[in-house]
Amino acid sequence: MNWNCALTEERLSDYLEGALAPAEREACAVHAAECAGCAEILSRVGELVGQMHALEPLLEPAFLSRRITRGTLGARAERHELAGIGGWLNLIWQPRFAMGIAMVAATFVILAHTAGLRLSSLKPSGLNPFNVAREANRQAHLTYARGEKFVNDLRVVYEIRAVLAAPPPAPSGQQNQAAPAPSGAPPSAPDTQERSSRELQRDAITRKATNNLHWAMLDPAFDKFALLPANRRPL
Amino acid sequence: MRRHTRRVYNLCYRFTGNAASAEDLSQEVFLRVYRTIGSYEPNYGSFATWLTSVTRNLLVDHYRRTRCDRLTDSIDDAPQAAEVHSADRTPHQKAEAMELSAQVQAGLAKLSPELREAVILRDLQGMEYAEIRKVLQVPEGTVKSRINRGRIELARILQEMGVRAD
Repeated sequence: MNWNCALTEERLSDYLEGALAPAEREACAVHAAECAGCAEILSRVGELVGQMHALEPLLEPAFLSRRITRGTLGARAERHELAGIGGWLNLIWQPRFAMGIAMVAATFVILAHTAGLRLSSLKPSGLNPFNVAREANRQAHLTYARGEKFVNDLRVVYEIRAVLAAPPPAPSGQQNQAAPAPSGAPPSAPDTQERSSRELQRDAITRKATNNLHWAMLDPAFDKFALLPANRRPL
Repeated sequence: MRRHTRRVYNLCYRFTGNAASAEDLSQEVFLRVYRTIGSYEPNYGSFATWLTSVTRNLLVDHYRRTRCDRLTDSIDDAPQAAEVHSADRTPHQKAEAMELSAQVQAGLAKLSPELREAVILRDLQGMEYAEIRKVLQVPEGTVKSRINRGRIELARILQEMGVRAD
């Protein structure tokens, strides 16, 4: 069968859609192998058709259906259409709106949690703006007071540790007898042993006192200032 | 009605290349359908084919009516329509599809109305030749000829625009 460029154009769709008879398809392929122009047309148009078939449909404006309904069936039909839950869901249930609604809901939950609103203890009076503001104010003050208490407790603990860790004052008699060792002279072995055992004892006392203090602080009735020396207690 | 809105809107937008005009024309199509629904006969074919025929007639009217306006308008100034994207596409694929869609739209705008409507109905609306014959009211041979010439012309235009086939 003789094939030419005019036939390529005339039967292009049949070729691309596989509607040519085997003999015609063979003749078209033979001609395309010899004719660069026809080969390019077949290749390029085939690619283009494939790309156009893969294109997604365009998204119509969100309110076009409502506008058409209003224009054809009137406002009554539109109300009827939107009266059902499905109508509203179709309007709202779009990715951009759903994501926005979820973000707003999450924001409200965080704000409500921060303001101290609990769903389990929610009452109608709790929705009163005055009550909501008062509760938020209370929560803010409570948070500040807890923080302040924590810092004060921490400070007291460190002060007590500092007091306990301070070296005990040496007796005045011994102070006179203990002459300063000559510079560079190593301390004697009994002195070193006595000092290290004293330090170990002091560390053990410090650890025990700190541990006891931690447990004591868990008691709501604990008075942390009672541990301080009398002259350092607040008035 | 909602089922057909997207189909009509797509046809209008692909033909006019303007989102606002496509919206107005879609509404006009349904108004006309509402008024002339009594003239629809099942012998003509499916309702979708009849609806496409009504849309095409309105588009032809619109084309004739706005011929003077188009001489001064630029397609770049026209509002663009958004695309529906499958959820399984990556952002890169979506961006490529949007770019290709805009390029095809620009190429379609340079085709003659006869070739443009044939290519749109076949390749973008996915209609069969027999349905297109009913809509365009021309023999099937003419339909195929227009589609062939339209595809070749569109491929040439896109090549001149520098669009490369993947």
